[in-house]
Amino acid sequence: MITFTNVSKVYPNGTKALNDVNINIEKGEFVFIVGASGAGKSTFLKLIMKEEEPSSGFITVNETNITKMKRRKVPYLRRTMGIVFQDFRLIDKMSVFDNVAFAMRVIGAKPKAVKKRVNYILGLVGLKEKAHCRPAELSGGEQQRVSLARALVNNPSIIIADEPTGNIDPEMSFEIIELLNEINKQGTTIIVVTHEHDLVQKFKNRVIEIQGGEVISDSGTVEEKAEVPIEISEKELLEMHSDDENITDYDENEIPSSRKIVTEVFVDGEAGEE
Amino acid sequence: MIGLGYLTKEGIKSVWNNRMMSAASIGVLVSCLLITGVAVLLSLNVARIVDTVGKDNQITVFLKENIDDVTAIQKIGPEIRKLDNIASCEFYSKSEAIVKWESELGSLFGELQGEENPLPNAFHVAMVDLSQYDDTVENIKNVEGVDIISDRSDVAKRLTELNILVTKVGAWLVTALGIISLFIISNSVRMTMYSRRFEISIMKSVGATNHFVRTPFVIEGIVLGLISGGIASVIIAFLYEAMVSAVKYIVPIKEIPYSELAFQMSATFIIFGMIIGAIGALISIGRYLNMEGGEILGW
Repeated sequence: MITFTNVSKVYPNGTKALNDVNINIEKGEFVFIVGASGAGKSTFLKLIMKEEEPSSGFITVNETNITKMKRRKVPYLRRTMGIVFQDFRLIDKMSVFDNVAFAMRVIGAKPKAVKKRVNYILGLVGLKEKAHCRPAELSGGEQQRVSLARALVNNPSIIIADEPTGNIDPEMSFEIIELLNEINKQGTTIIVVTHEHDLVQKFKNRVIEIQGGEVISDSGTVEEKAEVPIEISEKELLEMHSDDENITDYDENEIPSSRKIVTEVFVDGEAGEE
Repeated sequence: MIGLGYLTKEGIKSVWNNRMMSAASIGVLVSCLLITGVAVLLSLNVARIVDTVGKDNQITVFLKENIDDVTAIQKIGPEIRKLDNIASCEFYSKSEAIVKWESELGSLFGELQGEENPLPNAFHVAMVDLSQYDDTVENIKNVEGVDIISDRSDVAKRLTELNILVTKVGAWLVTALGIISLFIISNSVRMTMYSRRFEISIMKSVGATNHFVRTPFVIEGIVLGLISGGIASVIIAFLYEAMVSAVKYIVPIKEIPYSELAFQMSATFIIFGMIIGAIGALISIGRYLNMEGGEILGW
């Protein structure tokens, strides 16, 4: 699904962000990309999204060599991806519904399809009741779920999450990753960039560690691992985020653990093109 | 085109959402349009006055003393009319002239009738184009039987020069104000884009094409131009009447009635405003379209 072959990236100011990176992510995998700040994680994501060009090597996404992709084709590449940002990037003046609908409207989906799909997705992330709220009225975790809903709404084959738990409290961090796991079970490829090693260890997914622009470890694909049920105690959650304050009780019922995340409602083929 | 309704709505909404900046842009654009409009109206009126004065600006072609009425009417008159740049040529007999002199200056001229009349026969000639005054006068002088011509070339030259000056100044003013308007609209749209950079970055991240990103801003520019053109059209009507009244108070002129110009002025203002708005928006957005992700947000 995503292949990096001998990819290096040197920025115009001379910063070497990635050095001869070779990574292969299969369709339907859940991959954590970990590493310290400045390790090259964000550059890795930008290259997948084609926000940056590699200095050498090539990248394929969905069997397409995106290194040679023409600029006008890039929007169509991005329609196959859903992006979740650390800072949520929600539009304050829009309601939750409109924030999610926005992603469909900008690719030309019809209003009827937008309404149907957005309501479905908001139900999926547990925010249907808050559809008319403004982002400022929501907690950090809820805002990140809106961001996730927006990433999901166009039914992407890949979800890219850049530090999705960086601005939320520990119990919500766990819930967000769990939600991504559920999405992954339906076949969506998930790539999560994070520097929270402790959180990563609680989930038995593939972990690629980048340091100084190089891949220093790769735990391998999920097939190589045994399926292990995820169990986490409140104490462990508190330990993961020992620096955070005001941690509230974790409500395990807030997001159903076996939420059915499917693409059945998507759009009736109406996410149009221009 | 998919989503045009949505994009148009977004463009119009943006004018309202950024109403302070929109109001400022409209204010400046209306001012520019008004100044441009005043220059154009002034130019049109001066051109009309020059035209009118030109038509009224008859020269008197005096014939030699021995030329009688019949020769003048049958021979010299047609020859003058055949020349280029002649609008009209009317015979003015020496008996008409003496009657006029008598009525203006008294009975002193009463005895100078008939054979005693010392005045020559003449023609009153009007020209089509005063800028060709010298050539036309020269051609008339070459007609046999013509003696002297009353010389009013200064008036003709001054009027022509004034018309050229007003036209030139008007053209420069329109160009300069067009560029200023473009700059202002472009800045206004740029401000809007800056305030909506989050949306732009999200649009691009979810796969919006450049057309989709660009269109609402272009529509915003067009709407600003349209509103400005409409407001300027109304104001210029009142401004013109006020200006004409003020000028008439000092100099009696026959102005062009605004009703003759209203449609053309309004259409020009609106179309000019919309074009400036669209171009201004396109100038601003070009920069953002080439940016990606954090770059758009200034990171």
